[in-house]
Amino acid sequence: MKASLNWLREIVDFEQDAASLAQLLTKAGVEVEGIESKGASIPHVVAAQVLSSEQHPNADRLSVCRVDDGSGSPLQIVCGAKNYKVGDKVLLARPGASLPGNFEIRVGKLRGVDSEGMLCGADELGLAENSEGLLILDPATPVGTPLGELFPADTVLDLEITPNRPDLLSHEGIAREVSALTGRLWKASQGFVPETDATGAVAIHAAECPLYSVRHFEGVRISPSPSWLRQRLEALGVRSINNVVDITNWVMLETGQPLHAFDTDKLRGELQVRFASEGEPFLALDGKTYLLSAADLVIADDSGPVALAGIMGGASTAVDAGTTRVSLESAVFDSAHIRRTSRRLGLSSESSHRFERGVDVAGVFRGSQRAAALLKELAQGIASGWVAGSGGERVDVGALLMGLTPVRHVGLRLERITSLLGAPVGEARVEQILTALGLSRAQDGWEVPSHRADLTREVDLIEEIARVVGIEHFPAGTRAHFSPSSEADRRYDHLMQLRRSAVGQGLFEARNLTLVSEGMAQAALGSENVLRVKNPLNEDQVVLRPEVLSGLLDAAARNARAGVKRIRLFEVGRTFAQEQVEERTHLGVVLAGSARTPNWRSATVADADLFDLKGALAGILNVAVEFEPLPASALLGLAVRVLVEGKAVGIAGQIRPSEARARDLSGTVVVAEIALDSLLSGPKRTALYVEVDRFPAVTRDMALLAPSGLTHQQILDVLNAAQEPLLRAVELFDVFTDPTGERVPVGSKSLGYSLTYRCSQRTLTANEVNAAHTKLKQRVTTELGVQARE
Amino acid sequence: MEAQIQTLATQALAEIAACADESQLEALRVRLLGKGGELTALSDRMRELSKEDKPRIGKVLNETRASVNAAMEARNAALTAAQETRAFEGVDVSLPSIGFSQGALHPITQLMDRAVQIFRRMGFALADGPDIETEWHCFDALNTPADHPARNEADTFYMPDGRLLRTHTSSIQIRTLEHMAPPVRIIAPGAAYRRDEVDATHLAQFTQMEGLYVDEDVTLGDLRGTLEFFFRELFGEDAEFRFRPHFFPFTEPSFEVDIKAAALGGGRWLEIAGCGMVDPAVFEAVNLRRGDSALDPERYTGFAFGFGLDRLAMIMSQVPDIRLFTDGDQRFLSQF
Repeated sequence: MKASLNWLREIVDFEQDAASLAQLLTKAGVEVEGIESKGASIPHVVAAQVLSSEQHPNADRLSVCRVDDGSGSPLQIVCGAKNYKVGDKVLLARPGASLPGNFEIRVGKLRGVDSEGMLCGADELGLAENSEGLLILDPATPVGTPLGELFPADTVLDLEITPNRPDLLSHEGIAREVSALTGRLWKASQGFVPETDATGAVAIHAAECPLYSVRHFEGVRISPSPSWLRQRLEALGVRSINNVVDITNWVMLETGQPLHAFDTDKLRGELQVRFASEGEPFLALDGKTYLLSAADLVIADDSGPVALAGIMGGASTAVDAGTTRVSLESAVFDSAHIRRTSRRLGLSSESSHRFERGVDVAGVFRGSQRAAALLKELAQGIASGWVAGSGGERVDVGALLMGLTPVRHVGLRLERITSLLGAPVGEARVEQILTALGLSRAQDGWEVPSHRADLTREVDLIEEIARVVGIEHFPAGTRAHFSPSSEADRRYDHLMQLRRSAVGQGLFEARNLTLVSEGMAQAALGSENVLRVKNPLNEDQVVLRPEVLSGLLDAAARNARAGVKRIRLFEVGRTFAQEQVEERTHLGVVLAGSARTPNWRSATVADADLFDLKGALAGILNVAVEFEPLPASALLGLAVRVLVEGKAVGIAGQIRPSEARARDLSGTVVVAEIALDSLLSGPKRTALYVEVDRFPAVTRDMALLAPSGLTHQQILDVLNAAQEPLLRAVELFDVFTDPTGERVPVGSKSLGYSLTYRCSQRTLTANEVNAAHTKLKQRVTTELGVQARE
Repeated sequence: MEAQIQTLATQALAEIAACADESQLEALRVRLLGKGGELTALSDRMRELSKEDKPRIGKVLNETRASVNAAMEARNAALTAAQETRAFEGVDVSLPSIGFSQGALHPITQLMDRAVQIFRRMGFALADGPDIETEWHCFDALNTPADHPARNEADTFYMPDGRLLRTHTSSIQIRTLEHMAPPVRIIAPGAAYRRDEVDATHLAQFTQMEGLYVDEDVTLGDLRGTLEFFFRELFGEDAEFRFRPHFFPFTEPSFEVDIKAAALGGGRWLEIAGCGMVDPAVFEAVNLRRGDSALDPERYTGFAFGFGLDRLAMIMSQVPDIRLFTDGDQRFLSQF
């Protein structure tokens, strides 16, 4: 809402300048988002007409003009602009004028020719930031008119009005607030036409229109608005059309009541308020045709809709230059209804903006009376009667006409102010604040006027008091109480610990969007049962990600394209599936490029592979991680199930080279997607002490020649199954294959194990160790058919 | 003979000091103390001495032998130390480090964690709720009328079954109050979604931090104290505050908090948070759902607040484009 400081001053007599008023309003909850200076008032600058213009004798780019400034004797002015012609009305700065930037105008010579002033452009007068050439005025402008009358100086405040305060969408409303905040009095309102009896009724076929009135005018003379009216509307961002339309806008900006003017001679039969029929076309004032639905409220005559109720008038009944009779609508429509139609049609206006937020029923007749006074003054319009109607039983037209506005009773307890705000506010202060806001004292509470529809409960009145008093009045409390940690606390801590461990593993945390494209959702592990939003904004954000990998793979591709060589990304975040548990927390990891940073001691480092990933996962989860083979998938050439303590928790693998290339990733790319929820549940376990070994350990190596297909796990299983009490650890220190078959036969592999033996009671003898080791070696060779190499 | 011993001792100590390496020192040891060595030879001549001289000369001889031995040991240790030191000479310690490879937490995570730690010091516990919410939890229970503009499909993502992606973490207030009786003192970081066109300052998804405190006699002053403490911890003691009255359907009175601080670039007021006293209508809505009056608005009052972590991180780290947070670019992520 733009508000003119001049206009506010005409209503309330306050002392503050624009900046202090802005501060005062902002502090009270009416945020001032901008302050703009409009117009200019510079003495000795007047409208003048160019009588002649000739080439300057000594300068190609200058002209010598004679201008009439209304003083009786034409002046000679040297001018450099080219955008005018003889006969144009322009602005002349006479000697003595002081233009912005301390530019003094004097009589002088320019290249040897006398010049008695300066013809001005808009920028030179501070009317615009940038402009070219002279400012050409309306041809009707009388010469000699001072600049201050043509472009009155004003300050426009840009106010953010919260949706609960539609009463502030008018100058009178803001003035009421300013009056309450400054304690300054409201001046008498402008002229209103006294009321006569209704001359008929309007048929209202919808409860969504509580009150509808039309006032008729004869002998209207359409003309451009006087400059004071035009200037002020334009300063507030409203385009000036003609005197009648401008008056409707003026009254809306003044009182908050939207009005609409029909050309009476273009109406066919009686007006009525009804719902549109399905598919009924309506050509609006904006030149567009809208197809209406049966849920849209219209004003119709015998020919069809002539206005979309509360939103926009129709083109067929618009006031134009030939209009002599006017029907002026002033009404109230249901805010939810207007909002729905406006949104459905994508059509909004200053009028719908107000109706959507709520228009005070008590302002309907006041608005049209005010317009009647202005129509008489500015368009010779003679009021010739009015009609009104009410949809439903909600409005007492008679009482409204008598000036009896509906009031609401709201209770208020002083002690409740203290208990909610934290410090008492004195009774006298409360009374002063609420009275200034237009409320009046009643038994056990307050009477709230109808324009404050937002004040319905005690807490609403307390809010008004807090707002006006200011929060500084209430001392800052530092109360706290003990809070036991919640399940959410434990989860949070666990997830943060995982994240920090991942960082320790050299990974960078990504936070991808959870809404992804169909393609991204499918390109990862390819989940079924995905959840989609009904109304996506674009095709990039349709699916709620089933996996964190969806986004991580995209991020990895972006990094590769940006030239990042070593990609190490992880994410801990929510994933979604159309299942019993819809939202889960997953860990995703992507590794591409070398396993360790190459350095000056070893310039080549192998790419991170599945086993680096296994190590990283164990490091992040802080538990032993096992892999189990899975069939290859569209994405993963090498796929494994990830197990923790024997439970499947996720999938990992190496991306097919073709899939890596498609993402501009080179070399080995390994990924993992782990479901964290099962790993997070339960309280944190406290570790128990186990006695550390005091007697020395003995190690023996075991070299095996095994068929390629035999797994490390199979060997481990056999060793563990032996339940050798002295065996403490098995470590694989070498895996060797030879494609040439020279050192190891093709189809076989050589495995080197180091077995550690220890007894917690005594030092082992060589014989004991040898016996145990030989027994284990025999088991492995006989059970697995492998060959022990010496 | 005594003089002879003295002379030999002086000479020996000088020679020991002059030894340049271990082999010279070993040769000297053999010459002096070895079989037939010079000191050994003098010891052999003890037999020739008279009974009176024997103890005195013997003592001198022993002392000399001890001091020569000690000198040799000391010299030996010094030579070893010098040799060891020489082995390290010339190492270029300015060579780059090896094996340092630390990742980084996302800047939003870092800020979130700082915020969580501060609130925990003030006795807040964490709470959580789903991203996919019911209209009731996200709007109705929060006193937002059915025709409120925020509920429109133009502004909110809906699921085919009528649920929605929560537009604010305030739905977690309701989730918490549904199963907890006062005192309730929680914070809830989480994702929120709005159907905004993406640009440098808008994403369809962002991260919020929500807070709620409900108890007997919780006041506007407590709200002010809590937020001022929190933001001073976050931005520094110089932070200045402006609680500007505002409107939210679920708080009354409501405020927007503007803050001015050097950590925020100083100079101008920045809109940082929204807050207010919980609207009694919220308590009543939850009571109705619970089927009890655990949240009697006559007995309990409360405050709630919320702020966006993305916007805050942008301001604090001078990040010009919000999309950098979701790009996953390691060159960006490694800066924090």
